[in-house]
Amino acid sequence: MEKPERIRVLYIDDEINNLNGFKASFRLDYNVMIASDTADALVMLEKHPDIRVILCDQRMPTQTGVQFFEQIRSQHPLPIRVLITGYTDIESVIDSINKGNIFRYIKKPWTDTDVKSAIEESNKFYIANSLLTLKNEELEKAYLELDKFAYSVTHDMRGPLMSLLGAIDISKNSDDISEIKDTLGMMEKSVQKLDDFIKSIHEYYSLKRGQLQISEINFKEVVADLYDLYSIAGKLEHINFTVNVVQNDLFRSDAVFLKIILNNLVANAFKFQRHDIVGKIVDLNITVHKGNVELIVRDNGIGIKNEYVNDIFKMFFRATSSEIGSGFGLYNVKDALTKLNGEIFVTSTLNEGTTFKVIIPSK
Amino acid sequence: MTPGNLNFIVIDDSKLDCFIAEKIIRNTGRGAVVKSFIMAPEALEYIISTNVPDNNLKTVMLVDIQMPIMNGFEFIEAFEKLPQPIRDNYIIYVLSSSINENDISRVRYHTSVKQFLNKPLTSNTLSTILELID
Repeated sequence: MEKPERIRVLYIDDEINNLNGFKASFRLDYNVMIASDTADALVMLEKHPDIRVILCDQRMPTQTGVQFFEQIRSQHPLPIRVLITGYTDIESVIDSINKGNIFRYIKKPWTDTDVKSAIEESNKFYIANSLLTLKNEELEKAYLELDKFAYSVTHDMRGPLMSLLGAIDISKNSDDISEIKDTLGMMEKSVQKLDDFIKSIHEYYSLKRGQLQISEINFKEVVADLYDLYSIAGKLEHINFTVNVVQNDLFRSDAVFLKIILNNLVANAFKFQRHDIVGKIVDLNITVHKGNVELIVRDNGIGIKNEYVNDIFKMFFRATSSEIGSGFGLYNVKDALTKLNGEIFVTSTLNEGTTFKVIIPSK
Repeated sequence: MTPGNLNFIVIDDSKLDCFIAEKIIRNTGRGAVVKSFIMAPEALEYIISTNVPDNNLKTVMLVDIQMPIMNGFEFIEAFEKLPQPIRDNYIIYVLSSSINENDISRVRYHTSVKQFLNKPLTSNTLSTILELID
């Protein structure tokens, strides 16, 4: 059986003896394919897109090696082209090299060492090229995200600032203290919104650039800060916040990522409440069981329209006009979960509430 | 001739921005009916159900661009599909904090939009555009 990691090489020569000699010499080192004319070679190229190096004899009856390489270059740009030729053809070879049709040439009669070195060099060049293609694709993706990011920043950062300027303008021209106080209250919300957005950007970058820092997780400790913070908010806004942690097993994960996930889910549960009801609730249930943790965040808030449930994890998506969302939180949650190999499930009913269930395996 | 009254509609997902716009409009003393909407679809519904306003006044509409569910451009496209007798009652301004070239040039393609205005809306800007309407 052929080992998959062997380099696939195609050798084209009109002399059968050369083809057989080539195959005999290199079949152990490389995955060798042979063709006695360029028409056969073309068929093989179509069939095997993983051919990395093509070695071709210059002098053949129907087409020279140089002509063949020139012909296939646009259709099969990836394989590295090596010409095999005698000294007499040197002019056409130089011309072809300068045009970029040929990576190397081997003089006839070839030695094993020459061929091997040409194939190894070609392979290195092939790998470098493929890496470059891959990097370019990654770069293009990063640019797209940056564009989206820059566009949103003008809205999400400039927006609240412009609101503040507008509000200042009104206050400056007003003598009515109660109106000025109302405006100040709204300005405060605008400043908080901007601050939330900046925090989300910080989270976004710690998720994108950060390496996982795996440590033993004590969920009671992880939720302690969260509980302090939100039980105060709960009292102010009459939201009954309960946290329940059941952890009997060890659990290993990244504490910062877990906090980002919990923080965003709980913050959302608090944000998207129905303001007009009595008995607002937010529950957080954490259970560590058989190497997994299950995090359940439940609220009886505004809920999510069915048609938007699939979009809520997209960057900058907002399913409601309620002012508090930045469209960043759940995107960060999803990103953190991808890194921790976790999963998230949503069940929601409009005007009844939303439940997020997260399952993360221990590392 | 003293400038007449106008109706106003503000469409912006930021409550603070609606508040600011309403305040500034009222300060001009020319706002007859002033309505603000934080969701564009609701504004569209209102426009359709109003048909021709009872007070027979023109309506100045200030529309934000980036809004969830239906953004400013989607709103304008939907508005442009309404029957002409309805459309004739409105003068649309886009009011946005966007400094994105695409947004600004995209506004120009919409003949129903009179002008692109930068946030924040100030009394000065509003008086200037109202003078141009008169």
